[in-house]
Amino acid sequence: MLLIHIVPAAGGVVLSLKNLNTFTFSKLFGAPWTGLRNYRELLFDGASPLRAGFMDALRNTAIYTSVTVAGTIGGGLGVALLLNRPVRGARALRTLALTPWIVPTFVVATLWQFMWQSDVGIVDKLLVDWTHVLHHRPVWLLGGNTIWAIVVPSVWRGLPFSMLLCFAGLRAIPSELYEAAAIDGAGAWQRFRAITLPLLRPLLAIQLLFLVIYTAYQFVIPNVMLGSDPGPHADLLMTLIVRTSFQNNLVGVGAAASTLLVLGMAVWVGVWLLAFRRDLEAPA
Amino acid sequence: MTRLAVSDRRRRRLGSAALDALAYVVVAVLFAPVLLLVVSSLQTDGRLASGTYDLLHPTFAAFRDMWRSVAFGHYLVNSAIICTAAATLATAFASTAGYALARFRFPGSRPFSLTVVATQLLPGSMFLLPVFLGFIWLKDNTPVQLFDTRIGMVLVYTAFFTPVSIFLMRSFFAGIPRELEEAALVDGCTRFGALRRIVLRAAAPGLIATFAYAFLFAWDELLFVTALTQSHAETIPIGIRNFIGNYNGKYAQLMAAGVVSTLPVMVAFFATQRWLVKGLTAGAVKA
Repeated sequence: MLLIHIVPAAGGVVLSLKNLNTFTFSKLFGAPWTGLRNYRELLFDGASPLRAGFMDALRNTAIYTSVTVAGTIGGGLGVALLLNRPVRGARALRTLALTPWIVPTFVVATLWQFMWQSDVGIVDKLLVDWTHVLHHRPVWLLGGNTIWAIVVPSVWRGLPFSMLLCFAGLRAIPSELYEAAAIDGAGAWQRFRAITLPLLRPLLAIQLLFLVIYTAYQFVIPNVMLGSDPGPHADLLMTLIVRTSFQNNLVGVGAAASTLLVLGMAVWVGVWLLAFRRDLEAPA
Repeated sequence: MTRLAVSDRRRRRLGSAALDALAYVVVAVLFAPVLLLVVSSLQTDGRLASGTYDLLHPTFAAFRDMWRSVAFGHYLVNSAIICTAAATLATAFASTAGYALARFRFPGSRPFSLTVVATQLLPGSMFLLPVFLGFIWLKDNTPVQLFDTRIGMVLVYTAFFTPVSIFLMRSFFAGIPRELEEAALVDGCTRFGALRRIVLRAAAPGLIATFAYAFLFAWDELLFVTALTQSHAETIPIGIRNFIGNYNGKYAQLMAAGVVSTLPVMVAFFATQRWLVKGLTAGAVKA
């Protein structure tokens, strides 16, 4: 396992320092060194089209990740709270709510691509033809809306799993705490603030850590829904890296972008540790 | 005073009914796209385009035609073989490593655990390029054929899903009382015999759950299969993507293909749900 994960990853860093493209491809690791030129081109070369594309992808990934993660965890907690009440048919409701998570990601992308179509898609039919909320048909799969076209399905698929975890967390909270708080006259909101949130904090923190990483590495949804080039409003770092490396054969640049993405995630893990270290050490 | 109490109770009951209704609405909205997927696969393209869904007269034409539009059977067979093999191998490796981590303190057990976590932090693209280049190099220079072969994909997926599987198996093993094994040892079992006869049997739900986990995620993988295959070992995600690229507008067939791709994992999930959900939530709740 070490061999398959760590050695190639180190190989990736090495490649990022090389001038590897169509012409030098046959030499692989024997390609000429270029030092940090790939990085400089991505980050600082204002005239380079590579930098413009990288900056777009960086911005989109930041937006996509933050909105998706917030929607997933917030929505998951909300639905878990709703279904943790004694509703009639709660078990069946939970199973139904969980199904989006079992639909494979590439089917999710396919399904939503169909739903977003402006002529035959259900979203525009619903908004324009059936309810007349809007009077013109929004275009979802082209231009500025594309970022939302990938955010919404991502939340839709991720939310049920977050709900599942939150639900397990809620179940672990002893009901005596709520009863005692209710006797002391605490309202529903106060009970949520003072009991539920603090006790769920470690669970939410773990979700936050892994979900941010998982979301920042998203590739399938934009790739299947929008093609190998999702356009300047929805191109994520992963789609950019794969396109640069495998279609444009700029393997060195792709490897440099990968390394930057990992560095970004390392910074995120550091920030996360600073914020939530106490929760990790707290007894379960 | 009494009237106030009654109205208070009524207000609470109204609030509770409102929350119930909200729960039903939210679940309906969450489930609606899944329903749409199934319903659309049973319509003709014409009905989908006009938005006049006919629920009473479903047609299975899309399920018949999809196999001819792209070589869907080819992709399905590849997916089934690759994912089953990779999930089996990952579960086998993970059960031995997970057992060791749960039972023994060996030098380096802590760094080993940390490395397992660290592998999850690396994006696929980081080792995708070197693996790709390595496969190409092997193809050109040795008789070892991994590029665009099922064996190559099995190897990659096994490596990919073993780390999390180790964590799942460790938590399952940790939940089995040591006394069971010790009793077997006292009764004259060897350490390995105890593992085989007692522990693995007790951990069977864990093995099933881990297998299902690896299978579900391998089924969903697109990035590596895009780069590491060309025509022989392509799996369902590629098939679906080709569908979108080449037959845009044939939405009924596309949705039918989506239903067919979802069914195996749906079955795998619901068959193992009890153990899988427990395994996945136990780790997160404890951590």
